[in-house]
Amino acid sequence: MSTPALELTGLKKSFGKAEIIRGIDLSIGTAERHAIIGPNGAGKSTLFNLITARFPATEGTVKLHGEDLAGLQPFQINRKGLSRSFQITNIFPAMTVFENVRCALLWSQGYKYSFWNLVNRSRQLTEGADAILDQINLLERRNLPAGTLSYAEQRALEIGITIAGGADVIMLDEPTAGMSHSETDYITDLILKVTEGKTLVMVEHDMGVVFGLADRISVLVYGEIIATGRPEDVRGDPKVQEAYLGAALEAEH
Amino acid sequence: MTDENLTTDPSRPAQRMRAGSLSLSFMPWIVGGILLVIMPFIFTSNSALTIMNQMWITVIFALAYNMLLGQGGMLSFGHAVYAGVGGFACMHIMNASDFFASLPLPVLPVFGGLFGMGLALIVGSFSTRNAGTVFAMISLGVGELIAACSVIIVAFFGGEEGISGDRTYALPFFGNEFLQQIDVYYLTSFWVLLSAALMYLWSRTPVGRMANAVRDNPERAEFLGYSARWVRFYSFVASGFFAGVAGGLFAINYEILTEENLNTTSSGVILLVTFLGGVGFFFGPIIGAVAFTLLQTVLSLQTELWAFYAGTLFVATVMFFPGGLAGLMMMHVPAFRLGKANHLIVPYIKTLIPGFIGILGLCALVEMTFHFRHAATGDNEMTLFWTTFDSHAILPWIIAIAVTVIGLGIARATAPALKEAWNEANTAGGAA
Repeated sequence: MSTPALELTGLKKSFGKAEIIRGIDLSIGTAERHAIIGPNGAGKSTLFNLITARFPATEGTVKLHGEDLAGLQPFQINRKGLSRSFQITNIFPAMTVFENVRCALLWSQGYKYSFWNLVNRSRQLTEGADAILDQINLLERRNLPAGTLSYAEQRALEIGITIAGGADVIMLDEPTAGMSHSETDYITDLILKVTEGKTLVMVEHDMGVVFGLADRISVLVYGEIIATGRPEDVRGDPKVQEAYLGAALEAEH
Repeated sequence: MTDENLTTDPSRPAQRMRAGSLSLSFMPWIVGGILLVIMPFIFTSNSALTIMNQMWITVIFALAYNMLLGQGGMLSFGHAVYAGVGGFACMHIMNASDFFASLPLPVLPVFGGLFGMGLALIVGSFSTRNAGTVFAMISLGVGELIAACSVIIVAFFGGEEGISGDRTYALPFFGNEFLQQIDVYYLTSFWVLLSAALMYLWSRTPVGRMANAVRDNPERAEFLGYSARWVRFYSFVASGFFAGVAGGLFAINYEILTEENLNTTSSGVILLVTFLGGVGFFFGPIIGAVAFTLLQTVLSLQTELWAFYAGTLFVATVMFFPGGLAGLMMMHVPAFRLGKANHLIVPYIKTLIPGFIGILGLCALVEMTFHFRHAATGDNEMTLFWTTFDSHAILPWIIAIAVTVIGLGIARATAPALKEAWNEANTAGGAA
């Protein structure tokens, strides 16, 4: 078997005495769509933050395509092809929609910290950013300040920024949180479209989205993964039903 | 010869800016270049040249400062040291007679820039790790430290007398020894245009765009592959360079540098200038520098209290127009786009003219109070607005109070109509 796209071994995180992540082993294959679900406070976002080095892990390793990410800064991890979105919309509100996406393209197109290139002159940058905007259906909003977009549009923009750099591992933290039904459907389709052929790791509360998108599901409860498997297997797992899913499914109906 | 430099210069950035609306990005630079050339023909006196030189130097410094404040989101309380050190370095080069004799004077500001940049490299390596309060405090600390060094490291800073030199010892530049104020004017003009163009171009480069991104959301920028710290660092170093250029021009212009060029007061002034002009737009600091220099030079001839008025203006800007003068101007763009700007003219006249007269009345009261309290005993005569009167008599006070009350009263009464007209002019009603 080939190297997994993302591999976590014995990952732990404590804040003071409180153990939030209590030893996670997880392996996510290339081009797999993996959803992490679990009740509030289970540590899903913390897990995301550990993988992307927003917080340092207390113990354990994170490997991206077999390469240990220990000691790397977020920007270095991003350059290795891992990109993430945030639970709370995290865009550049004062800049235009187009500019938001263009900034996300700069590093991957090799511009680095250069001050001898003019961004307006690069057709590759402009066309690349417009292609992304087209994909996320925000071409009409191109020249508006990003902060003036509707909530769903801002979430779509955030997904656009996340995928723009061409990362092959995409991590989305609750992409449909706080959305109406139609908006959720819209974002779900969008995620399917833009992560084609890429590895997707997402935290999600909406079970409809999870079962619609994910190839495999991991259930995180109190900092531990209690089950990992295909959606139908996880749904049938009694442990999961007891801990979380049953209640959530009942609430859905 | 210098004229030729001036007229060819604006075309240079434009040639590089092929993409996008060429004529639009091109025009301000041509207009700016032409203005720089013809200004001395309009304002011919030597003092006007001095004021303009000071203005252009402040423009460069304020633009450099805004690379940090407006574009990079870094509030510096000690940016004068980079200009100052650049200036001191230039003074030393002027005094190194052998080397200076082989150096054309117009090149000297480059050295100022390099020294400013060198210092920024050192300081930036640790100060740019964070923005916000940490950065502000480090900038203040370093600023104080270097200002304090001016009396300690006398060899470089010249102690309390400072360092002076003579610009005319430079290698003649096409036969020009820069003896006249007008020669220095064109040298400064050349540099202001070049620096402004380069700083504008910087803001269009990848690192310049990312400076905006890091300002707005450093964390997101990190997850786009950019280290917020290094983006800040590069902005800081570039800003140090242009501050140093401004310092070098100061050295050429005044031929003396003292501790005053380094201290926190100077750092505070440039913050004030930049904010007054508006940090949100590239051209904001230019407006700020022009406005402030005029206050500082022209107004200070009229009244001892000019700093009081400048300070009041600054506070008013911070409180009511955080976008500064540039923001105030750009506020009107939507109305122009909708073709409704002409609807604003009459309401503006109705409110602003009485308001202005009222403010003049208020200024008169301030001046009269100052005269009443501070003039020598028996010196009761004062001149204000071309009128000489007795500041201890009751009638002038009544007139000033009446003018103030009536002026501000009318402005206040007409303000709601202006507000309504403003809203009307900014809504695309009917026609759109």
